[in-house]
Amino acid sequence: MTKILTIAWKELYTTYTDRSLLLIMIVTPLALATIIGSAFSGFFGSGGDLPIRDIDVAIVNLDQGTETLNNGDVFVSVLVPPADASPETLLDNPLYELTNAVELSDADAARAAVDEGTYPAAIIIPADFSEKVSYGQNDPIQPVAIEVYASSASPVSASVIRTLAESIANQIATGNVTVQATIDAMIARAQTDPAFGLRFLSASNNDAFNPDFTPAFDPANNPLTIEQQTVTGESAITFNPLVVFGSAQAVFFMMFTALGGANSLLEERRDGTFQRQIVTPTPRIVLLLGKFLGVFLNCVIQVAFLCLALTVVGSLLEGRINFIWGNNLFLVALVVITVALASSGIGTIVAALVKTPEQGNIIGGVISLAFGVLGGAFFSVDGIPGIREFRVITPNYWGVDAFTKLAQGDQNIGLNLLVMVGIGVVFFALGVIIFNRRLNV
Amino acid sequence: MQQDMVQVRDLAKSFKRQNGEAFFAVKGVSFNIGKGEIFSLLGPNGAGKTTTISMISGLLTPSRGEATIGGSSIITQPLQAKKLLGVVPQEIALYLSLSARQNLEFFGKMYSLGGAELKKRVDEVLDLIDLTERQHDKVETFSGGMKRRVNIGVGLLHRPQLIYMDEPTVGIDPQNRRRVLDTVLRLRQEMGMTVLYTSHLMEEVQEISDRVAIIDHGEIIALGTVSELIQKIGEEDRLIFNVGMQTVPDALLNKIISDTTGVSKATFERHEATEGAISDSLEIGTGQILVYAKRGRSALPHIIQITNEAGIDVYSVQVREPDLEAVFLSLTGRALRD
Repeated sequence: MTKILTIAWKELYTTYTDRSLLLIMIVTPLALATIIGSAFSGFFGSGGDLPIRDIDVAIVNLDQGTETLNNGDVFVSVLVPPADASPETLLDNPLYELTNAVELSDADAARAAVDEGTYPAAIIIPADFSEKVSYGQNDPIQPVAIEVYASSASPVSASVIRTLAESIANQIATGNVTVQATIDAMIARAQTDPAFGLRFLSASNNDAFNPDFTPAFDPANNPLTIEQQTVTGESAITFNPLVVFGSAQAVFFMMFTALGGANSLLEERRDGTFQRQIVTPTPRIVLLLGKFLGVFLNCVIQVAFLCLALTVVGSLLEGRINFIWGNNLFLVALVVITVALASSGIGTIVAALVKTPEQGNIIGGVISLAFGVLGGAFFSVDGIPGIREFRVITPNYWGVDAFTKLAQGDQNIGLNLLVMVGIGVVFFALGVIIFNRRLNV
Repeated sequence: MQQDMVQVRDLAKSFKRQNGEAFFAVKGVSFNIGKGEIFSLLGPNGAGKTTTISMISGLLTPSRGEATIGGSSIITQPLQAKKLLGVVPQEIALYLSLSARQNLEFFGKMYSLGGAELKKRVDEVLDLIDLTERQHDKVETFSGGMKRRVNIGVGLLHRPQLIYMDEPTVGIDPQNRRRVLDTVLRLRQEMGMTVLYTSHLMEEVQEISDRVAIIDHGEIIALGTVSELIQKIGEEDRLIFNVGMQTVPDALLNKIISDTTGVSKATFERHEATEGAISDSLEIGTGQILVYAKRGRSALPHIIQITNEAGIDVYSVQVREPDLEAVFLSLTGRALRD
């Protein structure tokens, strides 16, 4: 074990005393992530807030309605302005500014449009929406699911739409309760107050009773305000785009580190330092484990450092301390370790299969770039059929996805961790076996 | 009777060519090296020296045969055998971004040294290789000779009983070359180390070796002390006559042999490639008459007279005393550096 640690320490020491290597490993991804993240989040021009507006969203209203009301129409009217809406009307409703909602008639077409990247999300209102949310004395509100079909390529927009849909649905249900409760109260009073009952009956018969319940459904009169619809410092959504761009850049550059580090074993063979270790009384497996432990630790340190540095950058730009990676530090650490393991594993297998350091550099560079593209380091491939399916083979995708989920408060990253550990362990073991076999000529 | 530090029996190594055909780089060599002996493997590049040593040091698995170091088999007890072995490879196998001290400490730990013992050994080696002053400088800032000394120091750190040096003087200036050769002699004299030395430079092998094995095409073609090997060719001098672009007829060569006392052989060669110091000044295509003779200097005037009478101008003459170069030439028909 001492020898393994000695080799790993040598690996770390030679890496972190090499200024040009540090520039590539740390400074470049940090700068790129900061620039891209800042540009997308508008940090430079809007203080601490992250203004989100004009989110494209498709709405499909399949609601059949009840005898008296179609709550689906109410839902749509909250987001889609009337065709003849005046500029004042548009300005009065902040939701019209927040979204560019378009009503479609076909749910499948809406989902396909999201798949193609036309919309970040689609809201599909079910046929029984009104039936389920209507309230009566013998007709309680029932659970109903509004489908929000969202693209993971646009996590911020999808998150906003998801929250928005939930809030609107709740408000409609609340409005229904309010209307019904009002009518119930009037009927109850009529039964106990004959004079009121006669006036109520008379008014109802001559259509003079025409209460205006619109305010019960008016977004202006409920908690569904801009506060819930923008990613401002005080709102429920605190997701920072630096997470996506930062983690994508971090994993992308870490892949270079992993492949380059593993490839350095071939350089050591060429330079004779590895042979010099072989002639010491040290089993070969110890030499290989030490080497690859060093590569793995390099990756862990690189990503961990970038996570911290991006937090500092994000905090400085926002003007307040903000750990952008979510609240679960333990899970963040697990993602860092597993994504480093997966990348080290890939580096190991590549180093085991190529013949020369030069080959390793070329193939490693191609793999890093390809994985970077698939993993979203440059742009999202979610809307590119034929390519997006391959992103799941990259640790980049699983790592960035896990970081993004955690930053959004979603701790459901078990599959991400499992896949990354699997990639790491399998490729690492295979790489060590193959390399050892090739040494044993 | 002297105990053997190394025993090599029928050691062979085959590789596969790209067309799948197997060829033997080493074809079954056998030799012993006594404790405290300086034993050299001499042969041209590609003769099989490094392959032989790579098998002994555990870098390559033998295709057949066996070798032991201090009684431990390199095949069945490799870790024990390696504890007794120090290696000084031909290339500078050091981490250039680390300092001399850090290199020594790293490889010391690979030999399970640690703590105060490691520090003491590193200090000793730095003193031995005369780099105490520069111990904290990165190796990449060193001259070729200094790097070579660190390269040797790493091999000595764990005080091995057997040290293997693979062409340790390649690419260094005469001053540092002298220093390396002196170090080799000191290792034997002061520390009692056994030294296994490989080189294609017969002068240094001749100077330091107790015994020499001449290896060519993967086989040992001669083995013994330097004087024993020279006796194999009858201790004849070699006379080299540079005749430029002139062509020498066989009749003249026969006349040299028949009319000159002590001459056993005369040949004519066109110089086609660099042949070491004796003919480095010759241009490609120039010719030389090689004459083997006892008491060569005495025969020299008569041979020049015969060539002049035959109308051949001699531009320069060299007289080479019997040496390992001559032995190799005699055994293989080629110069060591061909």
